[in-house]
Amino acid sequence: MKIKSVKLREAHKGSSSASFCSILWDLQAHHLVTASSSEPSISIHDPLLPSNPPRVLRHHRDGVTALALSPNSTCLASGSIDHSVKLYKFPGGEFETNITRFTLPIRVLAFNKSGSMLAAAGDDEGIKLINTIDGSIARVLKAHRGPVTGLAFDPNGEYLASIDSIGTVIYWDLQSGRTLYTLKGVAPDTGSDTSILNIVSWSPDGETLAVPGLKNDIVMYDRDTAEKLYNLRGDHMQPICFISWSPNGKYMATSSLDKQVLIWDVNRKQDIDRQKFDDRICCMAWKPIGNALAVIDVMGKYGVWESVVPSSMKSPTEDIPSSRSKNSNGLLFFDEEDEELSMSGSLSDLGEDSHGESEPPSRKRLRKQSVLVDDQHEDVYDELSLLPKTESRKKVHRVNKENSDKEKDGLRSMMAFRPKMQEAFQPGSTPSQPGKRHFLCYNMLGSITTIKHDEYSHIEIDFHDTSTGPRVPPMTDHYGFTMASLNENGSVFANPCKGEKNMSTLMYRPFSSWANNSEWYMRFEGEEVRAVAVGATWVAAVTSLNFLRTFTDGGLQKHILSLNGPVVTAAGFKDELAIVTHVSDCLPSNEQMLEFSIFNISKGTQIFKGRLPLTPGSYLTWLGFSEEGQLSSYDSKGILRVFTNQYGGNWLPLFSASKERKSGENYWVVGLNASKLFCVVCKNPDSFPQVLPKPVLTLLNLSFPLASSDLGEEALENEFMLNNLHLSQIQHRIEVMAGEDLDAASLDDEAFVIEAAQDRCILRLIASCCNGDKLVRAIELVKLLSVEKSVRGAIQLATALKLPILAEQFNNILEERLRSKTEVLNTSLPSSNYGPSGKVDLAVSKALTAIERSEISEPIVSSSSAKLSAAPLFTKKVKSSDRIKFGMQKTDGGQTANLEDRKVVKDADKNAGPSHVNCVKEVTNLETQRPSNPFLKLQNNREGKKVGEVTQSQSQGPSNPISKSSNEEAKKVGEVTGVQSHRPSNPFLKSTVK
Amino acid sequence: MAGQSDPHISLFSAEEVEFMAEDELIEIVPNMRMDPLNFICGDFGPFLPQIATQVPLWLAVALKKRGKCAIRPPQWMSVENLTRVLEGERDTQGAFQALPFHYVEISRLLFDHARDDIPDMYMVRSLVEDIRDVRIHKVETSLEKFSGTSAVKIPNLSAMEVNIIRPFVGRALQAFYKHDNPEKIPDVDRAPSGHTRVANNEPRRPLRR
Repeated sequence: MKIKSVKLREAHKGSSSASFCSILWDLQAHHLVTASSSEPSISIHDPLLPSNPPRVLRHHRDGVTALALSPNSTCLASGSIDHSVKLYKFPGGEFETNITRFTLPIRVLAFNKSGSMLAAAGDDEGIKLINTIDGSIARVLKAHRGPVTGLAFDPNGEYLASIDSIGTVIYWDLQSGRTLYTLKGVAPDTGSDTSILNIVSWSPDGETLAVPGLKNDIVMYDRDTAEKLYNLRGDHMQPICFISWSPNGKYMATSSLDKQVLIWDVNRKQDIDRQKFDDRICCMAWKPIGNALAVIDVMGKYGVWESVVPSSMKSPTEDIPSSRSKNSNGLLFFDEEDEELSMSGSLSDLGEDSHGESEPPSRKRLRKQSVLVDDQHEDVYDELSLLPKTESRKKVHRVNKENSDKEKDGLRSMMAFRPKMQEAFQPGSTPSQPGKRHFLCYNMLGSITTIKHDEYSHIEIDFHDTSTGPRVPPMTDHYGFTMASLNENGSVFANPCKGEKNMSTLMYRPFSSWANNSEWYMRFEGEEVRAVAVGATWVAAVTSLNFLRTFTDGGLQKHILSLNGPVVTAAGFKDELAIVTHVSDCLPSNEQMLEFSIFNISKGTQIFKGRLPLTPGSYLTWLGFSEEGQLSSYDSKGILRVFTNQYGGNWLPLFSASKERKSGENYWVVGLNASKLFCVVCKNPDSFPQVLPKPVLTLLNLSFPLASSDLGEEALENEFMLNNLHLSQIQHRIEVMAGEDLDAASLDDEAFVIEAAQDRCILRLIASCCNGDKLVRAIELVKLLSVEKSVRGAIQLATALKLPILAEQFNNILEERLRSKTEVLNTSLPSSNYGPSGKVDLAVSKALTAIERSEISEPIVSSSSAKLSAAPLFTKKVKSSDRIKFGMQKTDGGQTANLEDRKVVKDADKNAGPSHVNCVKEVTNLETQRPSNPFLKLQNNREGKKVGEVTQSQSQGPSNPISKSSNEEAKKVGEVTGVQSHRPSNPFLKSTVK
Repeated sequence: MAGQSDPHISLFSAEEVEFMAEDELIEIVPNMRMDPLNFICGDFGPFLPQIATQVPLWLAVALKKRGKCAIRPPQWMSVENLTRVLEGERDTQGAFQALPFHYVEISRLLFDHARDDIPDMYMVRSLVEDIRDVRIHKVETSLEKFSGTSAVKIPNLSAMEVNIIRPFVGRALQAFYKHDNPEKIPDVDRAPSGHTRVANNEPRRPLRR
């Protein structure tokens, strides 16, 4: 490979020390231009006759540090240590003008695509954008903290990239002159040595920006987002000092401080050739036509490396990107005009030194023609001859803009541009960033972070709860782990394979073990770990062969299953493992086709399997279990879905970032519990948190994406649906536990609490329905109430709101409910049904049943109220001072009656109006006792704390089947027997009973 | 001048003012799990790792001392804001910039106990000290100018600053009052112990006539 060595010949003598030299080809490859920072002359060589003496331009007073040739090769610009930038005609070399001056040495020059603008920068503070047409300074871009050493106009004319000697890269928006992105410390700090210049270089299609990296590599950044795309890393031993793309963008030549020049195949990310030189090569240029590379070293010796790219491969000038040729064809035409205009303008108007300060008005229009086409200037273009030009240019610009917009969108969703199956990821990981720590895993428990050093990585495991979590010493990782997962027992790590010598490895590290050396490693030959998960006593890894491998936490290989498709991600929780895989390539409409399965590892069963829904055009960004163990997913459009067993296993959208989002915030999901989502809020444009400062979790409420209803009670409706969801989840768990003969008492209590909350919520909804005149909806809601007392409360509510028809309807529902209950009781407990009242209920008329029922279900209340009769009630309301006396009077009714009485009093005080009506009715008709009785009950119901008391008091009453049942229901005794079938805490069973 | 006035004459000592400032709420990020705490001043918590919550400053400091939390410096305590405030203080002679009433005490407590939680600690500290010096200087110069009135109104003055100038202003106002109508004041100021108390009752005195 190293047979053909490039012979270098001296172009510039210079001093004995290293100095930065530049070399350029012209468009037709007829000339080579060289300059050295140690010599004031510029040489124009003829590459065909290298022995001929070059044409020498001596206009600078000090070393020439920068050269630039306009894209159509008609104008040469040079910058020098003597602070001036000069323009020459090319190839003639006639000096034209000093286009600008700086106060410190120039380091770099760059023409834009059309040649109408020259960017110059150096040790001065700002980057000057100079109109070559009239020499005016269009803008001065200031943001760099160090000398600017590299400038590159984006081939599509939208951006300018610049780099300084301390390694900061800045993307500038040419239209506004603002910085778009600032990438600090991405390139090496070259220090004060002016013979080494950091450089940036756009690929010829403008899609990527190549920047020397910190690890002797070249890092590619995205055009629009400035995100790191990939890097080229090879055998450079020292930092890169020059980058040159081949004209078609397929190859790249890089030169490093280690005196090597490498040729890369950019697509394969591999170096294809290299050459070692005696001195460091500080500048290179690909021959625009043919397969050759001109190089110049720091001693001023230049040469041409012929047939750089092996003949077996595509020529570096083949397939020059179409956008480029189109653009240049289109633009070249009027470039020449521009150039001529510029020459005429500059020759006639520009003095030696003064320019851009006092311009005659005639030049105004010319300047407007520059690339910075502003809308506000449009009306100035009234001259017909200029119109076509500006239009065409605008069009080009617009097209570019559109493209880039699309791309931006595409990159954000990672596949809009070219539909692509989403790659495997670990939930809670962040992308690696050079020189920074990043998360391998972040969950509600803790985090695993890693930082890459040259040969190894440094991994730290931290628990959020430092007081109880185990303390894990940091570890040095020689494998380069990129995946990790963490739970309270241990952590699992894996790395992808990197070449043949570095096999994919899985490592498990328990946090506490009685045995020494309890961590273990698995190596995979010919396959690669793509995703890992860890659970209670198991570790799972999904590999590139679509194998799901499970291990015990001791390292025993348990099972190997074949999955249906390439894995996307995996998550573990206790015994359950969830895996998401691709079903097929994504649809042309950019929809990922994903499938999930939930396994119970310890039992070896599959719990569920189905398609994983995603918002159209999004991709999965997080998968995990809630604290209660519900599988949840989050997609890139910000929709959180929770898996539920309702409807035969389905996903419910429970959170939408777009509804929640305050402007400029992204949510990075960490976990969730029954009612809250835990996430890290990231300010735009960041979509993920940094390790430092430590991210703080934010709690967001879960909410269904409800339609805005005419009721205007979204919050209540949301609570209603959430409660329903929780009830069904608990229901499911109770069933599971009952199936395993486990005691579900605690879950039962939980269900009771939620049910009570749900009834409260429904009552509030009923109230708003009544106020909003949605009576049908109110009746539907009443049917959903789980406790009888709530129904009574609803009846009272309707009465209080003066809706007697509704109250009547509610009453009917209550009767219906009681009747069905009696039937159940009659059938299930025939022996205990000795009272005739139950049967009578069914037989007698409605009004009568109601009275009967109220008497039966609350015998004491009815007795006490009967004792009281209407008159005392009335007086009590009028004169509350009688209360005590009254209570005394009733002590013969027993303690319980007293209790009831207190409630009556309160009731009477509170709702004077309706109770007054009731009392009056009571006097006249016994039947009117009915509404007053529910009233009492409502009181009980409202005062949730007293429910227990009241039920107790009821239990002292005669043993009546119905009162017994209500007693049972109130206490929610967790007897797992046949009684469970009529436990009302169990909405499903209840409905089956019905 | 007021700044050099004897600190013992102040109604409260600096420590007492600091003690009062400890009731201010501040955000902490606990690193432990703890049930809600029920105090007379309110309920705080529950404390969950890495989830921010509001607690009184004294509790935050107590937890911080035990390494149970990180204190999030308040919004105003950023370098940008403090720089802006300092510039504002220097630019306007008469008025004072809006800062929390207890800014001196809060910053002091945080500098003492939560050094590692404040980004650019030294910058913040020097800015706060500068602001305090500038403000004290302004208070002193503005006090030079005040003349016979029965009240002084200085908006946005902080607790510590008020505490420093209170005895001086009180006595000065009293003196003004006395000089204005000498016959109306009995020998109140001759009673040596009456100084601060009477000064404190300043607004009530005109009612006595």
